[in-house]
Amino acid sequence: MDEYTTLKEEAGIFGESVSLVGIVTPPATAETEAARTGVILLNPGIVHRVGAGRIYVKVARALAPIGFTSLRFDFSGIGDSPVRPDNLQFSKSAVAETRSAMDFLAQTRGIEQFILLGGCSGAKVAFDTACCDTRVLGALLINFPATEDENENAEQNGQRAAFAYYRRFAVFDLRSWGRLLTGKARYGHLVSTLWRGIKQRVCANETNSKQAEQFRLHLRALVNRRVQVTFICSEGDHRLDDLKQTGGRLLKQLSAERRIALDIIRRSDHTFSSLSDQRRLMHVLLRRAKAMVQSTVELRKASSVAATSSVLPQLQS
Amino acid sequence: MKTNSSVLPFHFNSGGEKLYGCYHAPRIEPSRNSGVVICQPMGHEYIYCHRALRQLANRLADVGFPVLRFDFCGCGDSSGDLEDADISQWLQDISTSITELRSRSGVKQICLVGVRLGAALSFITAAQQECVSAVVLWDPVVSGKAYIEEIRLLQRDALRSRPKSLWPNEHSGEEVIGFPLSRVLSTEIAKLNLLELVPNRSTKMFTVQSDEASNYDSLNQHLRQRGIQFDHQQVPAPKVWRPTVDGNLLVPSQILRSVVAWTSTQL
Repeated sequence: MDEYTTLKEEAGIFGESVSLVGIVTPPATAETEAARTGVILLNPGIVHRVGAGRIYVKVARALAPIGFTSLRFDFSGIGDSPVRPDNLQFSKSAVAETRSAMDFLAQTRGIEQFILLGGCSGAKVAFDTACCDTRVLGALLINFPATEDENENAEQNGQRAAFAYYRRFAVFDLRSWGRLLTGKARYGHLVSTLWRGIKQRVCANETNSKQAEQFRLHLRALVNRRVQVTFICSEGDHRLDDLKQTGGRLLKQLSAERRIALDIIRRSDHTFSSLSDQRRLMHVLLRRAKAMVQSTVELRKASSVAATSSVLPQLQS
Repeated sequence: MKTNSSVLPFHFNSGGEKLYGCYHAPRIEPSRNSGVVICQPMGHEYIYCHRALRQLANRLADVGFPVLRFDFCGCGDSSGDLEDADISQWLQDISTSITELRSRSGVKQICLVGVRLGAALSFITAAQQECVSAVVLWDPVVSGKAYIEEIRLLQRDALRSRPKSLWPNEHSGEEVIGFPLSRVLSTEIAKLNLLELVPNRSTKMFTVQSDEASNYDSLNQHLRQRGIQFDHQQVPAPKVWRPTVDGNLLVPSQILRSVVAWTSTQL
């Protein structure tokens, strides 16, 4: 990691009740367009702002040399931030707190445009915030949970993850067959996982149709607003199936037209628990963040040319 | 950054490295004469224990202790990479954190609360520093060799239900649940053995054990033979440093209560 960057990091507290704990990583150079862009990293689930495998720290410190300012912080009740005094539900408080994070970087660093980066539920918060805040120019959504089944318990969620693993990888793996045929597999777990997985896939369209409709509506609105949305998915995560199913034809179409991006990190799991997968994830994140800024610059140039060409005839007449 | 919270996040220097710490000011007056430095575990265990240790710090502050939680060099929000970490730097980090807490709060005496490898390092520090009057060892790593074997086994188990990466390992050491384990560090950890260390006789100790499978008889016997004043409690509670199936982070209230009760009566 860049020694200069880590030594310049600053810890602090911000937000409505000055209780959100975060770390700002300043850019190593202030002379780029990226320096005008803040990247805000949103808690991946309940894990604090360091992230599984310390990935958020690595990402923040890798963004600095290419000119970005980043802020990784904890939502209320997660990591170092205390719980909120009100009873606002997480889906609302997290969006409000993400906007507070943007306000904070705007006030202290003069940053006015943002890329939101989040994993799992953090990706959902990034998406929802992008829908309601025009300062967001891009969203990097890692293992986006397109469907949320409030009735699903932890064990069932674990079974869905296991089903994705069996279907995509274990079935093609000789070692797995070896364990199955030599009595080393957990047969009860295997049967219940397969049963639940098949049931889930058959019923998915019915149960999530309203949620899916809303997701597509919001996605289309973001694309029309020229917010650059990138979904980054682990191949071994069941959320990839959910995303494809929920996004349906719209997702395919927008992806084919390159109006959104869908990057799949092959053979990785939900938390990128292999170091080589973490490196591949980092590579994608940095490339996409740079491209988002580049594209915003081009868009700005194009609109300024268009404005000039519409003013010129008036001046000539 | 400005703050009006009783928890203060900040960075401080430790031998050329920059450590991240969270200072929990005591929440009752008068505050106590001793402060608590919390030494977290390493790698994936740090991630899983973070929630529980933040709550422990809050509870200790509630009963009047100034508390400092910090991230070791190469861990959490501190500077450095875990690939480059070594035991001597981490021991220096504890010493620096003790100095930092003493200067911030004005206390003279320090209690170290360590979890797993953090507990082993607290034990070593206590033997070297006069100002450490008490140590809480929460499921401590007694034998570094056994610890290395345990985390290697955990990694092998994890690989069973995870797609095998297409790409080769690009760094020289091993990896455990998303964290690197360098050869230098694994060799150093493997050499750790609390039974070979002579603790300071004036230091009070409390070993708290949630892992029923672990056997702390040898450690307790070692402490007894050395004439150390110590208490031991086995508290049935989840092993919070281990990954859970659903990714939840557990907080073992029973253990936190025990630790707060012991420190409150002893210090």
